[in-house]
Amino acid sequence: MSTALTNELDDMSAHTLASQIKMPYTLTPGQATGIFIAELAQRRLIGSRHKDRILVPAQDFSGIDGEPASGFVEVAPVGSVTAFTTTAQGTFAHILIDGSSTPFVHRIIGIDAKDLSVGTRVEVIWANEASGTMMDLAGFGPIGASATFAPREAPADLSAALEQIDYSLTLDYQHAYGPYYGTLFDGVKSDRRVRGIKCSKCRRVLLPPRALCDVCFAPTAEWVDVAAVGTIQASSIVHIEFVGQRLKPPYVYAEIVLDGTSTRLIHMVGHVDPEEAKTLAAPGARVQAVWSDRRTGSLADIEYFELI
Amino acid sequence: MSIAIVGTGQTFHARRRTDVSQAGLAREAVNEALADAGMTMDDIDSIVVATGPVMFAAVNQPEKWLADALGARYKPVVRVTSGGGTGLAGALAAINQIKGGAAKRVLVVAYDKLSEGALQASISTLYDPFWGREFAVGIMGFAAAYWHGRMKRLGHTEEAAALVAVKNRHNAMLNPKAHVKREVTVEEVMASRPLCWPIKILDVPPISDGACAVILAEGSDALAITDRPAWIHGMAYYCEADNGPDRSMLQSEPLQIAATKVYKEAGITNPFRQFDVAELQEPYTCFELSYYEGLGLCPEGGAAELIMSGATSMTGELPVNPSGGCMGANPIGATALIRLAEAAMQVTGKAGAHQVAGAERALVQAGGGWANLRGVAVLGAERR
Repeated sequence: MSTALTNELDDMSAHTLASQIKMPYTLTPGQATGIFIAELAQRRLIGSRHKDRILVPAQDFSGIDGEPASGFVEVAPVGSVTAFTTTAQGTFAHILIDGSSTPFVHRIIGIDAKDLSVGTRVEVIWANEASGTMMDLAGFGPIGASATFAPREAPADLSAALEQIDYSLTLDYQHAYGPYYGTLFDGVKSDRRVRGIKCSKCRRVLLPPRALCDVCFAPTAEWVDVAAVGTIQASSIVHIEFVGQRLKPPYVYAEIVLDGTSTRLIHMVGHVDPEEAKTLAAPGARVQAVWSDRRTGSLADIEYFELI
Repeated sequence: MSIAIVGTGQTFHARRRTDVSQAGLAREAVNEALADAGMTMDDIDSIVVATGPVMFAAVNQPEKWLADALGARYKPVVRVTSGGGTGLAGALAAINQIKGGAAKRVLVVAYDKLSEGALQASISTLYDPFWGREFAVGIMGFAAAYWHGRMKRLGHTEEAAALVAVKNRHNAMLNPKAHVKREVTVEEVMASRPLCWPIKILDVPPISDGACAVILAEGSDALAITDRPAWIHGMAYYCEADNGPDRSMLQSEPLQIAATKVYKEAGITNPFRQFDVAELQEPYTCFELSYYEGLGLCPEGGAAELIMSGATSMTGELPVNPSGGCMGANPIGATALIRLAEAAMQVTGKAGAHQVAGAERALVQAGGGWANLRGVAVLGAERR
């Protein structure tokens, strides 16, 4: 690899599109995990009974044979380290709770990694305030004066299973433009210039541009300037509201074929009455781009399309 | 090689199942399928897990999580995913395992627990991040847009689509597994709130938690398991390029390709006359109209006339979606497998209150993506 190319790759931000996906969830833990987490707030560890084995955290089904648990037990909040590693985020260990058949991963608090070994005895550290999540079990620390006992019948006041747990994912991505999207969106950003690419065989102009024609599988060859003017191929009138929406509903969702190209561009048609849009912004209607003041080098640099 | 379905099972579907985890949901359907086939997990050689996009419910590689609940330890487990058509794609993977000699009996379990995530927002992430995602309205914006196109070009009117809702919701009343049991009239559908016009809220199926399981077996083995297998007469699943040039999308090209291939395998020359029943995956009412044409049940532009004639109602010549289709329940990852299971129930006479009397040959259709992933299957009571 040339030095120039290496340097170029080091500066990834110039070649990638930052994209964030943020999703809310309400997860359903099921009976056993739902009870396990609910019981953490009572500062009790609950396991599930599967023939001669006990699983902690409690599980609905045994991994041995898939059979459901026959009941629940309370286990002592103490166990042994079976494996561990230290990362920038701290030390994490596989911990086998006394009486349980399977270790699980949690974090180690208050024990220096150099003092830890396989077999080190540890004890639960409870969160100061219960949050209704697995983190009510804050971690495992030095063994103290906690009572140890063999697994015993679950307490009579066993909590009901938590039915739902709020959760969210925030995922950041850096999507590489590559040479084709890169050329297109560089032109969009600097000159509001839209370019497609022509198939060397069938001569169709493809947008977004790409290396091969989807129909001929022939290489594409020639960049072609395309006017941001086209015909609606399909359209619907958006009334629903959702997170991240760019126009306030109602507006028109449109798949537009720009003049001279053979593929669709997904965008919006703005400033049209929703009732009139049923006919005015119908398939076949002519539209042109209204450019935004933004210069982000993306399709969002077109604010919306308007009817001609 | 003959291959047959020897057992089917479904959960009770609901808008929100808080009593089970995703793994527990899958297990419930598997229990029912095993009981239907008179088998245990020890009898299963291989397992195919089928789900929609993992972003629906935030568990990546869910087949790993399911292994404990299914008792899949030490068995081959793979996951297949292909949008809304996932269930049928999973069944096809199972058939190919049997055809290839890798397994004799394969369990396919398909599920989604859609109550856990943000559905349309998740679907928007299926779009190219550079090209379209910013303006996507889940799959609804797209689906409504091309219905609008078919309305203009093929006469798929809002009234004709409303009849699909009326018919399928009526049929769902007799399906014990359906969770939406409310009949509607054409007037109610027409007057219902627009979400993405022409799609209105009563054109839309419910959002469901649910699972389905199907057990497939090689021919002679199938006859040892049950005296009433549902024989696979053909199955195919095809794709079209997402940004393929010159796609009109008025008809789904991969659907037509899949139908042509499967009909040839199954000896179907006049689908409307030769099928006794059909289970079609209609994520919006407009799709059922489009599939009538793509599957050759009527000529292009003839779908509105077909639904209006009543021929596809329970008392018509070719009942379509006696189960109620997606309108009764729509756990997306399971939906296509539910269509296959319902068709198997029909040709083996196990469909109960929504049985089409004497049904011997059934048509199944499934689809995922922006009209670019489409599957077709034919099932029969007779070995083929």
